[in-house]
Amino acid sequence: MSEEPKLAPTVGIIANPVSARDIRRVIANATSLQITDRANIVLRVLACLKASGIERVVMMPDNGGIRHHVRRGVERSRNLGEHEFPDLSYLDMTVTGTVDDTVRAADLMRQQGIAAIVVLGGDGTHRAVVSRSGDIPIAGISTGTNNAFPEHREPTITGLAVGLAVTGRVPEAVAYAPNKKLVVRINDQAAEIALVDVALVTERVVGARALWKPETFRELFVTFAEPEVIGMSAIAGLLEPVKRSEPGGLHVLLAPTEEAALTLNVPIAPGYMRPIGIARWQRLSAGKAHGPQITSGSIALDGERELSFSERDRVSVMLEENAFRTVNVAAVMDYAARHGLMRQAGQKERKRQVS
Amino acid sequence: MSKNPFPLDKQGLLEAYRTMRTIREFEERVHNEFAKGDIPGFVHLYAGEEASGTGIMMHLNDRDRIASTHRGHGHCIAKGVDVKEMMGEIYGKAMGSCRGKGGSMHIADLSKGMMGANGILGAGAPLACGAALAAKFRGDGGVGISFVGDGASNQGMFLESLNLAAVWNLPAIFVVENNGYAESTSREYAVAVDSYVDRAAGFGLPGVTVDGTDFFAVYEAAGEIIKRAREGGGPALLECKMIRFFGHFEGDQQTYRGKGEVEHIRANQDCIKLFADKVLDAGVIKRPELEAIDKEIVKLIDEAVITAKAAPLPTAKDLMTDVYVTY
Ligand SMILES: Cc1ncc(C[n+]2csc(CCOP(=O)(O)OP(=O)(O)O)c2C)c(N)n1
Ligand SMILES: [Mg+2]
Repeated sequence: MSEEPKLAPTVGIIANPVSARDIRRVIANATSLQITDRANIVLRVLACLKASGIERVVMMPDNGGIRHHVRRGVERSRNLGEHEFPDLSYLDMTVTGTVDDTVRAADLMRQQGIAAIVVLGGDGTHRAVVSRSGDIPIAGISTGTNNAFPEHREPTITGLAVGLAVTGRVPEAVAYAPNKKLVVRINDQAAEIALVDVALVTERVVGARALWKPETFRELFVTFAEPEVIGMSAIAGLLEPVKRSEPGGLHVLLAPTEEAALTLNVPIAPGYMRPIGIARWQRLSAGKAHGPQITSGSIALDGERELSFSERDRVSVMLEENAFRTVNVAAVMDYAARHGLMRQAGQKERKRQVS
Repeated sequence: MSKNPFPLDKQGLLEAYRTMRTIREFEERVHNEFAKGDIPGFVHLYAGEEASGTGIMMHLNDRDRIASTHRGHGHCIAKGVDVKEMMGEIYGKAMGSCRGKGGSMHIADLSKGMMGANGILGAGAPLACGAALAAKFRGDGGVGISFVGDGASNQGMFLESLNLAAVWNLPAIFVVENNGYAESTSREYAVAVDSYVDRAAGFGLPGVTVDGTDFFAVYEAAGEIIKRAREGGGPALLECKMIRFFGHFEGDQQTYRGKGEVEHIRANQDCIKLFADKVLDAGVIKRPELEAIDKEIVKLIDEAVITAKAAPLPTAKDLMTDVYVTY
């Protein structure tokens, strides 16, 4: 039997059509990125993947409109001879219009040995991808509300960096960065994860999901804490910054402002500054399970209430290091510049070589 | 007893349950009675969609006005219209909410702030703007709410109303009840803009999408939106993603629906079951308390049907009454 030729890398794209749609549009003037804008981001990423040598891209199908706009965009470009795109196909899966689609798509992409997944969404979308993507590196593009996890930059560059990374032109040690995550367990149920923060609040219902009532906040665990993000992790970020790249996280005990040792002004949603009562805080080290201080309430993963628990439940939260990989876009682009990866011989030089 | 973790006290939770169960029982019963051929005209049933109307209406009082759709029974019940008079109206009897001259698609009760079901798609939206304008002039903190289906949201009237509400900063709220179908046409095919939040943004209104099968998601989001509108925060759009249990109208063969679709949603996405599971699980309400309500409702709807069937029709003498109004 002849040896299989090594397959050229395929890149996956998971674009969530329903991120940035919750109540924070009303209470906090949060952004509501239009579907056509999301589709245009996909088109920009596709063009740059092609430019960096990617021939095949597979996408999550959706019924929120992104797929239709992308199809029209590709068709128009082909008619006009404007941009070149990789071959685009869609995963063969039933679309439910819920987060299950993202989870299923990440599962399929892992099974198909995709080289990297580009994710369009907020923190929740990225969490759903990472819950199934295993060792596949992901590259985040923020189209959600708080977006503490995906870095903020023009998606063109994200697409370019992913292409350069997965085609092997940038060494792995430079191209990919390890990340931390939080693992939440309730009784013997399957573990849930968070990429940025786990917040425990007194409200028992998941309800409208978003968090915007500080009087209900009781406890916070974060994987990293940046002072220039918004959302729950901003509380930790403004107390004691912790980098994505350093070991450990932060654990903060919160209290109603009248009972708190300290009050901190924090942007807990876009343009939404609130005083947050802090009881105390400590560094969070990896591998140690923590039980919550409150006996019933709900658990918000990356800013959205997802799980509720009562006195009868056993809950634990644990930080894990080296949990998954991301494409280190800044490092890839820096490497590309320093090593001349985007350079080509000029016309003059080419003519000289021919003659 | 465990502490109540919900945004409503026990009485409020029981009231929500009672409203949703009343709508469900009413609709299931109309479904059965319609099959017997006793009910004139068309009926469109709200079964499966109860959490939306109920979660919104629990924030309203009689001074707040709503404009409903062709699928209006649930909105009427949640807004407090008398159930027996509604049933009488559906049977076309003189005892009905509109003296038997409106039928299912025209049930109205202004004393409850219910401006009417509406057979014309999208026509509720300008009415809600009018109610909201009146409330703004009076300065009484009232709101006007228009319900509209995913299909009807393509009507010009609806879009013009979004514009008007934004320009005049009206306390108007547009609830898009997105059940995925307009008759047999899928939303995906027929709505060019892909998200109602995008559509609202196009008119300068904030928009929010919630899971319309989750009572608490609707209740919480609607609460914020209505509170803001009352205090001068202006109009907003709320999309409730939901599920229709029955066909578009009674008699619809539903050949456009996937095999097993309805069975699956009845088993897994029944908003009333989901609500009951939550409140029972939290230990705030005990099962016998819900069962007692179920029993009362069955009795109420049974009486409503018996009364409606036995009631007299309007007579020829009534032909010209309640038809034209002089102001
Ligand atoms: C102006 C107008 N056009 C067409 C119709 C016929 N019609 C009645 S209901 C319906 C579909 C409505 O779909 P949707 O708005 O999604 O509401 P749903 O029935 O799903 O609750 C149509 C086309 C009508 N009643 N009024
Ligand atoms: Mg519909």
